[in-house]
Amino acid sequence: MLEVKNLKATINSKEILKGLDIFIKPGELHAIMGPNGSGKSTLANVLSGKTGYEISGLLKYKGENLEEIPIDERAQKGIFLAFQYPTEIPGVNTSNFLKTSLNKVRKARGEKELDTLSFLKKIKVISKELGIDERMLSRQLNVGFSGGEKKKNEILQMKILEPNLIILDETDSGLDIDALKTVANGVNSSRDKKKSFLIITHYQRLLNYIKPDFVHVLANGKIVKSGSMELAEQLEKTGYREIS
Amino acid sequence: MLENLKIDISEIDKIGKFTKQEKEFRVKNLDFFNEKGLPNKKDEDWKFSDLRQIVSKNFKKLDLKIEGSKNENFELIKDFDHNHIMIVDGRLNSTNFQFEEKEKIQIKKFLNENFKNKRERNPLVHLNHALANNGYFLDVADNYKFKKVLVIYNIFTKNLNDNILNIRNKIKIGKNSELHIFEIVINRSKKNFFNNTFDTIDLEESAVLKNICINNEKSSGFFHKFRKNRLLSNARLNSFIFPSGPKFNKIDLEFNLEGKNSECYLHGASYIDQNDHQEIKTRINHLAPNCKSYQKVKKVLDSEGKGIFQGKIFVKDIAQKTDAYQLSKAILLSENSEFDSKPELEIYADDVKCSHGSTSGSIDEDSIHYLMSRGLNRKEAIKLLVNGFLNEVIETIKSNSLRKYIQEKFESGFYEYKKH
Ligand SMILES: Nc1ncnc2c1ncn2[C@@H]1O[C@H](COP(=O)(O)OP(=O)(O)OP(=O)(O)O)[C@@H](O)[C@H]1O
Ligand SMILES: [Mg+2]
Repeated sequence: MLEVKNLKATINSKEILKGLDIFIKPGELHAIMGPNGSGKSTLANVLSGKTGYEISGLLKYKGENLEEIPIDERAQKGIFLAFQYPTEIPGVNTSNFLKTSLNKVRKARGEKELDTLSFLKKIKVISKELGIDERMLSRQLNVGFSGGEKKKNEILQMKILEPNLIILDETDSGLDIDALKTVANGVNSSRDKKKSFLIITHYQRLLNYIKPDFVHVLANGKIVKSGSMELAEQLEKTGYREIS
Repeated sequence: MLENLKIDISEIDKIGKFTKQEKEFRVKNLDFFNEKGLPNKKDEDWKFSDLRQIVSKNFKKLDLKIEGSKNENFELIKDFDHNHIMIVDGRLNSTNFQFEEKEKIQIKKFLNENFKNKRERNPLVHLNHALANNGYFLDVADNYKFKKVLVIYNIFTKNLNDNILNIRNKIKIGKNSELHIFEIVINRSKKNFFNNTFDTIDLEESAVLKNICINNEKSSGFFHKFRKNRLLSNARLNSFIFPSGPKFNKIDLEFNLEGKNSECYLHGASYIDQNDHQEIKTRINHLAPNCKSYQKVKKVLDSEGKGIFQGKIFVKDIAQKTDAYQLSKAILLSENSEFDSKPELEIYADDVKCSHGSTSGSIDEDSIHYLMSRGLNRKEAIKLLVNGFLNEVIETIKSNSLRKYIQEKFESGFYEYKKH
């Protein structure tokens, strides 16, 4: 699904990713942990196609070189990033936007566009599953949403767009225990053989609900250690100092 | 030649017969105009819109007489029931108040009022006072609420060719009466023309007027409008303006809150592209206690579009408990577009709440990024953001059918986008 080799990323002449390797097969769920400022969000941004970075190294998705592919096309090809800090977009109706977005992606996949009625049905089911108040959908996109509502809205988008490579950047931060469980359930119910997850988190807590196949530690722009769930448990006890 | 446009006094006699008093008024105003001619940027009120230069660049002549006389057909809006007034090249053409009680409404062709002799500051108003030959006068009796909206079709035909029109309209709404007006400008002219309008709007005690005006069809029209609004106590005026489209458009609005507890609102949204030039100038005079004024003007500027907002809030010493708010916001989509703003406050009362602000800048890259990461291309993302920015203004229109109509009409004016 995803093949990253010796990935380096520089912004404003500051090198942030310094030769990073990661390999994710279809159906796998990887967790990335690491200290603040180690480059986790940068990795997520680079994978999603955000511009402004100088990039070198290998970046392949489903066997295709991502280098030349802009952000919107990556989204259409099935890469999804749930942002650490979702942007507030005044004047843009959440529900209308989700429909536009879904139909762009469907069109790219060669599927028929959804009419309003079928779309509303779909969104209703998913909102209910995620405990999202439907009134939120008629509000302006992310504007005035609480921290938790913003995160849930990201998961809602993920479930609607049905992407293949899903990157969650600290989606668990700022969620109360119930919301955390709902989000975890949302992720678990989406897991299948064709989807892969890259989950960035600071807390082992999330990984109790979403069982990762691999856990990586990102420090200073590199993966410094990889292992299984036990690595996360160990980190919770010792912190990062023991590792790097 | 148009650099120093002077108009001969004989033009006044060509318009019609006037009483001695009226004639004097016209002659005096023509003198005022001829003293300086068209205003240029040395005039503080015109510093962002050098009309002399703009006119001399775009016109070889400015004729008062319209030569062509071809009739054209116009379709009425079918989307919602409405009364209408149709104005063709400034002339009152037809009226229809089928939904109303006829005796409550008076509509007349341009009226030769007894003019007051107070000198206005604006040279184009002098010109208008001297030469106005068309327009309408609408009078709504006391205690009458209109059942349906009144649509004013303001049509400019192909008969126009380097003409200047001087139009003078007046609307008076009686005590406790309520009227909703939707004014739509339809541009059929292919040639340049200049439309110089002077409007007076009087709201008596507790009168309510909602006034929506859209002028967003691309045209080679050059528009200047000076509108004087007067509100007596408890009156409420809610104005919406969507003035994109003409090559040049200056809207100069004066609101005089003369009676206590009166309120005026101004909402504006425009999309200005090509090398269109648009200025919105406001002056709110808080002249009585407990009045409220609210202005929110949004502009999106593309290609070589130029937008200006000059807004002044004046609060007289007796106007205690004034609540005045003013905000102008602009998004610049291209490096060659320009936005200027000049907000001013002049306050002589001490117990007032006044705030004003102005922001301008390019579109937020993080927002574009967010939308693109959901599969929209850059152009679509920008369009959505621009729509969202401007739609906020349209969303405040309460009537569903009218709002929908305006939304569609408004978006059809996003020319730069449609090109692709
Ligand atoms: N545009 C930029 N210009 C300069 N430095 C940047 C820029 N963007 C990020 N950085 C720096 O790169 C480093 C990595 O940032 P990043 O956001 O990837 O960290 P992170 O691992 O996600 O941290 P956190 O756990 O706090 O979310 C930080 O030191 C940050 O200040
Ligand atoms: Mg981060």
